Amino acid sequence: MIAVSPPAWASLALGLALLLLIGTSGPFAAPDPTLLYHGWWPRLVMSLLAGGGLALAGAVMQQTLRNPLATPTTLGVISGAQFSLLLATVSFPGILSVGREWVALAGAAMAMGLVLLLAWRRSLAPVLVVLAGLVVNLYLGSLSIVMLLLHHETLNGILIWGAGSLAQSGWGGVDFLWPRLLVAVPLALLLTRPLDILSLGDAQARSLGLSLPQIRLSALAVALFIAACVTSVVGVVGFVGLAAPAAVRLLGARGFAAVAGWSLVLGALLLAAIDLLLQSLSGSFPLIVPTGAMTATLSGPLLLWLLFRVKLAGRPPLPGGAHLPPTHRAAPRWTSILAALAIAVLLALMTGQTLEGWRWLDLDQAEILFEWRLPRVMAAGGAGAILALAGVILQRLTRNPMASPELLGVSGGAALGLIGALFLLPGATAPSLAAAGVLGALAGIATVILLTRRSGFAPERVLLTGVAVTAITSGIQSILLAGGDPRGQQAIAWMSGSTYFVDMAVAAAMAAIAVLCLLVVPLFSRWLDLLPLGPATAAALGLGVGRSRLVLLLMVAVLTAGAMLIVGPLSFVGLLAPHMARLAGFASARAHLLGAASLGALLMIAADWMGRQILYPQEIPAGLVASLLGGAYFLIRMRRL
Amino acid sequence: MIALGRGLLLALLLLAGPCRALAASELPRLVTMDWTVAETLLALGVVPQGVGEVAGYRAWVGTPAMPDGVQDIGLRAQPNLELLVEMAPDRILVTRMFRSLDPILSRIAPTSFIDNQAGETAWEAMVAQTRDIGRLVARDRAAADLIRATEGRVADLRAQIAYAGQPLLVVQFMDAVHVRVFGADSLYGSVLERLDLPNAWRRPTNSWGFSLVGLQELVRIDARLVVVEPLPVGIDLPDNGLWLALPSVRRGDVLRLPPAWSFGALPSARRFADLLAAAL
Repeated sequence: MIAVSPPAWASLALGLALLLLIGTSGPFAAPDPTLLYHGWWPRLVMSLLAGGGLALAGAVMQQTLRNPLATPTTLGVISGAQFSLLLATVSFPGILSVGREWVALAGAAMAMGLVLLLAWRRSLAPVLVVLAGLVVNLYLGSLSIVMLLLHHETLNGILIWGAGSLAQSGWGGVDFLWPRLLVAVPLALLLTRPLDILSLGDAQARSLGLSLPQIRLSALAVALFIAACVTSVVGVVGFVGLAAPAAVRLLGARGFAAVAGWSLVLGALLLAAIDLLLQSLSGSFPLIVPTGAMTATLSGPLLLWLLFRVKLAGRPPLPGGAHLPPTHRAAPRWTSILAALAIAVLLALMTGQTLEGWRWLDLDQAEILFEWRLPRVMAAGGAGAILALAGVILQRLTRNPMASPELLGVSGGAALGLIGALFLLPGATAPSLAAAGVLGALAGIATVILLTRRSGFAPERVLLTGVAVTAITSGIQSILLAGGDPRGQQAIAWMSGSTYFVDMAVAAAMAAIAVLCLLVVPLFSRWLDLLPLGPATAAALGLGVGRSRLVLLLMVAVLTAGAMLIVGPLSFVGLLAPHMARLAGFASARAHLLGAASLGALLMIAADWMGRQILYPQEIPAGLVASLLGGAYFLIRMRRL
Repeated sequence: MIALGRGLLLALLLLAGPCRALAASELPRLVTMDWTVAETLLALGVVPQGVGEVAGYRAWVGTPAMPDGVQDIGLRAQPNLELLVEMAPDRILVTRMFRSLDPILSRIAPTSFIDNQAGETAWEAMVAQTRDIGRLVARDRAAADLIRATEGRVADLRAQIAYAGQPLLVVQFMDAVHVRVFGADSLYGSVLERLDLPNAWRRPTNSWGFSLVGLQELVRIDARLVVVEPLPVGIDLPDNGLWLALPSVRRGDVLRLPPAWSFGALPSARRFADLLAAAL
């Protein structure tokens, strides 16, 4: 007798649900032949193709990069596609006449090429690929948000694409997608065997005569090609690539061939079922609910449920060597960092553009200095330092280079609180918006802590739970933004990290909190030195692992929520500054904390100042510029690794 | 050469000094980030000192034309504060959409709140807003004239139009598959109502009076399509199966109108009414 595996049961159940949905909608509910032929059927086929493709791509990438959080989004495919679409729409509209798919595909290919190029020197070592992807992603993502801010009216349509709408108005999209998948999917399935061997470890794979760079390159290329094709047609439907493989693994599929195969099936069924469900509901809303955004919102709870129910039996591939390889550098350059900080503060306080061009501040312009500039510098610096501290704690705690405060549900919760207040309380003022943001942040982290308590806050569970919560919230965000409400620009400006609303009282409080954190957080250095060694080693050395994790998580939550009050939820300093500090040679936990905090402050102060000058009189939020600056530093340093 | 130019400029400024003072006392220097307010101000003959995203206004609102001297104060959602301090406006006009800016802007200059979403209908809101702005800039007469002229014009058009065809469906394309459809509570919808033209869109709309839907939602509505430009960049009217299946496309009676700002005030409403009447 053949033992039927849990993934098979799950697929069967989903398949039946899908049939039920088909039975109650479409051909049997609305016998309008044109609608069926040009709208309903292409949409169903599209959702199956897209879901299967994205799930398979996600599974392949997670295996290749040994990181359960890796998805096509991780490696910049989606941000590359989105950026090229935005750029073409604003600056080179002529190009779009060849077809939006091709523009998006070209952008995705360029982003992917950049990532592979950056990680090529070290034979595509997983940690390096992930980091390169992360940076390219942030970089392009930030540029995209800048363009959305500046050309909000022109780019409304791209926001719909960005939320992933599967609506079809003919067979054009399907015709574009199926021949490509027909080539790429079998290739990906052929690669599952060598990838399975890869999971035994680099040394063993090599002894079996496999060429690591070649396998990684071909696996990544195939996965990214699939994701890019799907994304270019239907827009951003990101979460299937994470949820389907995770679900399959959690259900206990053994061996990568099984994971990949079942991901393909489950992903297709999942997306199709969600899409049908949405269609049957959509008539009652004044706005379309794009499927991509809704998948994120619905897959989040699914992942949470699975995390809650099932033991992590088939452990997801752990990040192999979470940290950057040690750089061969002498002592870190404290003097140059502090000098740069001083210069940045001086520039930010004393120089700026006016109606008459660049001006050095006169001595009699104390009002400008104290009323408008000093608070922003203080708030930016304080927030940068705090977020960097939170980032260091989190990355050491979870042993994952992709961990950032955003992944803990903190930022997602805050963003949701903000958007809710902005859209539901007409005429809300800055303090009430900030309060809503903090409430959301606390709700987000509370969810993560409650759901991971039983596992003793195991890092991979914490991260996956955080990702699920973030997915739920980001889905709701995209839905609201895609609705085309004119308040969207405000929401984007608020969320991308700006010191705009800071006054002196708030800035002073922020700076005081930052100083306090700099005094208190290093007291926990021993924990942070031990935890990256793994729970067994840490416990053997006398550390209460569960308790210390809880304390540190709470600390991260409080730090992030505090900083977010000021600079909004989407500043990437918490992710970038810890890595920059490591690149600069700060190794022990204590030095890492202090180095990252100074770099975070430097990054935010410089970013805040530059953001106000680059496109004067338009102000670019500091959080965005910080990602561009930090990203540039990163790209330059990475080539020397 | 430069020194000479400066001297000349200084002399001109000295000469112009008294006039400037007089003009300034008569006409306060006004700043607004909201295009709808800017549009109304210009229609009342008041040139604001600064407006948010001037280039965007020219691209999306267009008429009344924004004169060259108007200073761009930056993003509408976050106008440049140091620049505003330097411009030292007499008053900043804030609308409901940007009300979260009020506390910070009132540190720079007194602010006035224009409620541009009050009123039973979209039309009443536009009229009330025009009256409020007129009072604020001491142009009550001009405001009353603008209201009367617009309502008179629309009444004339209603008398001219003898339309007995299908109800109208006013849409704006967002991409090749998605459109905004405007209901009764939008600017377009309120103009249809004033012109006595039937609006085919009966489904719920958002607080701006439109619904964002896929083309498939329009297949079963027997209506005449009114497509308001601009079409999204790089997209012409689609040639896909669903579009060709729409009743109005099959009949070949789709109307295509030049741009009129869909979130505008009375001038935009009048423009839309004129364009629609000319096309029918």
